[in-house]
Amino acid sequence: MEFACCWTKKELAPEECPNIAEGEEELYSVHRRRVMEKCLDCPLFANDLLRFKESGHPLAEIFSIVVSEFLDQKSQLQSLGGFLSSKTREIKFLHELSLVLQTSVDLDEVLSVAMTAITAGKGFGMNRAFLLMTDKERQALRGYLGVGPRTMEEAWHIWEDVNRSNLTLRDMARLFQKNKLSSEKVKFNDILERLSVPLRDQQHVFNRALRERKPILVENAFSNPDIDPDLAQLLGVDSFLIMPLISRHRRIGLIIADNCITRKPITSQDLQSMETFAFPVAFALERAFLYERLQEEIDKLTVVNIKLKEQQELIVKMEKMALVGRITSSIAHSIRNPLMIIGGFARSLLKNMEQDDSKRDYLETIVHEAKQLEGVLEEVLTYSESLYPALDAWDINQLISGVRDDLAGHLARRGVTCMLELAPELPKVSIDYRQISYCIKTIITSALETATAEGEIVIRTWRDDGVVVVKISDNGTPLSPEMVETLTTPFMVTQNLGTGVGLPLCKTILEKHGSPFIIESSPEGGTHYIIRLPIKEEM
Amino acid sequence: MARLLVVDDESSIRLLYSQELADAGYDVVTAGSAAEAAALLEGSEFDLVVLDIKLKNESGLDLLQKIVKERHEMPVILCTAFSCYKDDFSAWLADGYVVKSSDLHELKEEIRKVLDKKSR
Repeated sequence: MEFACCWTKKELAPEECPNIAEGEEELYSVHRRRVMEKCLDCPLFANDLLRFKESGHPLAEIFSIVVSEFLDQKSQLQSLGGFLSSKTREIKFLHELSLVLQTSVDLDEVLSVAMTAITAGKGFGMNRAFLLMTDKERQALRGYLGVGPRTMEEAWHIWEDVNRSNLTLRDMARLFQKNKLSSEKVKFNDILERLSVPLRDQQHVFNRALRERKPILVENAFSNPDIDPDLAQLLGVDSFLIMPLISRHRRIGLIIADNCITRKPITSQDLQSMETFAFPVAFALERAFLYERLQEEIDKLTVVNIKLKEQQELIVKMEKMALVGRITSSIAHSIRNPLMIIGGFARSLLKNMEQDDSKRDYLETIVHEAKQLEGVLEEVLTYSESLYPALDAWDINQLISGVRDDLAGHLARRGVTCMLELAPELPKVSIDYRQISYCIKTIITSALETATAEGEIVIRTWRDDGVVVVKISDNGTPLSPEMVETLTTPFMVTQNLGTGVGLPLCKTILEKHGSPFIIESSPEGGTHYIIRLPIKEEM
Repeated sequence: MARLLVVDDESSIRLLYSQELADAGYDVVTAGSAAEAAALLEGSEFDLVVLDIKLKNESGLDLLQKIVKERHEMPVILCTAFSCYKDDFSAWLADGYVVKSSDLHELKEEIRKVLDKKSR
């Protein structure tokens, strides 16, 4: 019997078999493999087999059955191989996904990875996905993020980009986070806002998926009695997938995915793959949310810690100052009596001395120096006492009138008038009477220093937003900004004590009363001293 | 001539006050302790007391209370190195308060004012 196929030959010349492709040249000489891989599928062999069957040989029937069975098995093996390699790809992808998710605590990164995985071709390849998160405070599921193209044109751009690049999932997610996340967050705002569902709406398909803890594949959405027609309308697709995100009994949220552009049917295979993906995503999202909250709490704690440290430093500083104050006060008091005796007797001697006595200069020096030292002591004592203001409710107008009366003689000697323009019925202010008296007295004395022959000092008071303002104005030579700076620089550092300039001390006292000390030069000449004393709140 | 009792535990201050206040035209008697002052007040008449607050082992404020209680018309001027007692309400019982200074002008003024008030 003559056969058309080359299976009878042990060795072939290249032109004898049309089924051997480039790269398979060794099959020309390996007979057994050639028969199994090429001849059994060759139409010439099928023809030879038919002729063999027709020859009536008793083995011909059996041989046909064996060949047909072999071809069936081969085809099954091939499809099984295909299935296996697709599953291997899927497992590799899930492994890559879970690695990325496990190592991320950044919410935006987790979101980017999850949404990229759903929509990327090498992932689940869905066209579009929405993430809804459980809002515990509002007891609702709320639209959080949408990913995917809105139009066919945009879809083509995206897919072209994806096909051109051969990126890993992490790289794709990074690119997404860097370039797209912020824009995607607003792109679907209109849809996301309307996707919100109250958790108490038990009949809603979203809540059903969460309750049953398994994904739901919605088909025929427009005519499905279980689906709210508004939802189908909103998504604009007939078929979509709802995947609940649950981590350790906690309902984190859910993902809706569809093929709004390609309209490719969603298979039960897709559903199964997505189910595997849901748990790591839910877990990573929960962890990222917790981490974000933890970070917020840490930030708050850091701020509190810094404040606490500042307070501690302040307390230590105040304790040191209080100690210095007590020591200073004790020294000053013990110096005061001897000083007074020295100065007092010198004055007494001077008074009874002849005008032309040659020793008069010595006594005058003693009197002058003792007076100077007493001035220093007064300032040191006022300073150490200013560390402990004794706040009480006082009538500021009465205080100012009292100070003016005390200085009446001094003012008269300099030929300066002091006018009071005090607002009536002012509320009481919370101050240390003696300290504020000292300040007013010092400011008037300072104004007197620059006063001209027909000088005038005006003291005004008025109420303003929780404080009483005291403004002392003179018409003397205005102070330069440098002078103001020097006058209010803490006197322990730059000023000589006992020079009669107590303005830096006034600044310290006023700051302890919560009042700024403003010194302004008036455009019309003269200087304004402004203080703002807190009103004593009624209990 | 008004008669003053000066109470201070420092002899130099007593001497200074005696001399200066005598020059100002007052009849001055001095006491170095609260007990001595109390005895003097018992035995003779005074127009005014100039009283230090910090006396050795004693408080001038206690003596002030005693004077106010027993001789409530007797004016008292507190004269002290401490300005802080001005806020002590027990010091408010006094008719005047002067912080010690080598310049006795303020003390003399205060004495004059208080005596004027008393005579009116």
